[in-house]
Amino acid sequence: MKINESFIEKILTTFIKDEFSKFKYKKGILGLSGGLDSSVCAFLAAKALTPANVTALILPYGKSFSQDVEDAKGIITLLGLKSKTIDISPMVDIYFSKFPAKNRIQKGNKMARERMSILYDFSSRENALILGTSNKTELLLGYGTIHGDMACAINPLGDLYKTQIRQLAGHLGVPEKIIKKTPTAGLWTGQTDEKELGLTYDKIDRILFELVDKRIPKKDIIASGFKKEAVEKIIRLIKTSEFKRKLPPIPKISSRTVGHDFLYPYDWDR
Amino acid sequence: MKVALAQISPYLGDMNKNLDLHFRYIEKAKSKKADLLVFPELSLTGYTLMDLVDEVALVPDRNPVFKKLKTASRELSLVVGFVEELERGLFYNSAAFLSGGKILHIHRKVFLPTFGMFDEARFYAQGKNFHTFPTPFGKAGMMICRDFLSYGASYLLFAGGAEIIIVISAAPGRGTAQEEAYESSRMWEIMGETISRFSTVFLVYCNRVGFEDGKNFAGGSFIYSPSGEMIAQAAYIDQDFLFCNIDPKDVREVRKKWPYKRDDRPEIILEALKRTVSQYED
Repeated sequence: MKINESFIEKILTTFIKDEFSKFKYKKGILGLSGGLDSSVCAFLAAKALTPANVTALILPYGKSFSQDVEDAKGIITLLGLKSKTIDISPMVDIYFSKFPAKNRIQKGNKMARERMSILYDFSSRENALILGTSNKTELLLGYGTIHGDMACAINPLGDLYKTQIRQLAGHLGVPEKIIKKTPTAGLWTGQTDEKELGLTYDKIDRILFELVDKRIPKKDIIASGFKKEAVEKIIRLIKTSEFKRKLPPIPKISSRTVGHDFLYPYDWDR
Repeated sequence: MKVALAQISPYLGDMNKNLDLHFRYIEKAKSKKADLLVFPELSLTGYTLMDLVDEVALVPDRNPVFKKLKTASRELSLVVGFVEELERGLFYNSAAFLSGGKILHIHRKVFLPTFGMFDEARFYAQGKNFHTFPTPFGKAGMMICRDFLSYGASYLLFAGGAEIIIVISAAPGRGTAQEEAYESSRMWEIMGETISRFSTVFLVYCNRVGFEDGKNFAGGSFIYSPSGEMIAQAAYIDQDFLFCNIDPKDVREVRKKWPYKRDDRPEIILEALKRTVSQYED
């Protein structure tokens, strides 16, 4: 599972440069939370596009997570990125004052989609392409909001597990304090990924690596020493989140149908 | 003779841009006095074509792009990759060897990878042969990418008397380890070393670079000598233009020492293979 950091850095910066030139964009934009993934993405984007061409949006909900906002500002200063801070609480609060949320996940999802909506609006204002910050662990577990933080134009970190991103971060020069930070989706105060998932990222990633990359059968993974409940939980999360990784199904009617047999590359005519 | 490998990133689905790209490399190769210039798989079209296959398919004999390439081949031999329409509605992933103003040979990809990230058999017809053919530099044989991973294909070129085997490729990198390269690059190098050494031939492998739909073509093109030594290699994942002098007479020198070719018994293999195949159960 260990990666060669400088090779991965080269692949990802080349990828970002390549995609921007194909899409004919000079500028990139991303949401910066002050956490590990978006910081790593900001470092890569600054290297690939130059800092002057990267805008980081800080999109806090009121005064919560103020430490993360400070950390995000620190990254912006360190890299010399352009930035804007927009408090999303007025938009979110007015909605929930009319339609109260049933639970905090519902509220968190709405917040993630509010951030997405602002990112896409600023993408158009600034003529900048959105860099996603979802990692392989989140994508596989479905630990993200569909059409929220999962929405983007390109997703440079999508084939790296959380623990691999941590390894890459050290090589890129991401501040130690961000690398060591407890990962959180930031949906509510006190939430942490590992608490919510009930497993450490180290365990999750090692199980995912066995299951997904090596295609080892479940029973053999359990026999090799991983807890049965943990492996089963991860398999369940992968299965139930497949819809987040696909376009919605379309009922087949014609002889050529989007999503079935209308088959063109993503890079069509680029 | 001087061999040049153009480790390029073709434009997906845009033949005109790719033709310009080819001619930039042809001019540079001519100025460096190369005798043979090899381009990667589907160099004139890009790789991830899917339903664009029929739009870029061509018949070499009556195609203006090929007319220009044939003219250029009067000054140096060329290997290019393209989509060929052989019979109406049958599309092949093909490689052409052009020299002296003519097409000397076309190889049609036999082993179409259709698994995991690959879907070629969905879009292409399957080639049926591995022929060798005479060139100004000796007898040559060609393969396209996945063909080279079937050692039976290399054997057919060896049995057919190849002295130089040219593999054109669009191999995406996959798997990372501790090295500054994709794990899959090593797989091609192992094959290059093995086939060149045990067939006592020059092995020329030209891969492409660049991203298509997130696939990262891994580069790392190489040339192995008939004794199995790597004598030139291009960069991994970066564009590159590799030049290497080789002496076709080296095949003769190595075969004096290692008479694998003299001692080969294709007739025994053929009969044994027939018996093996006849015992297959349906």
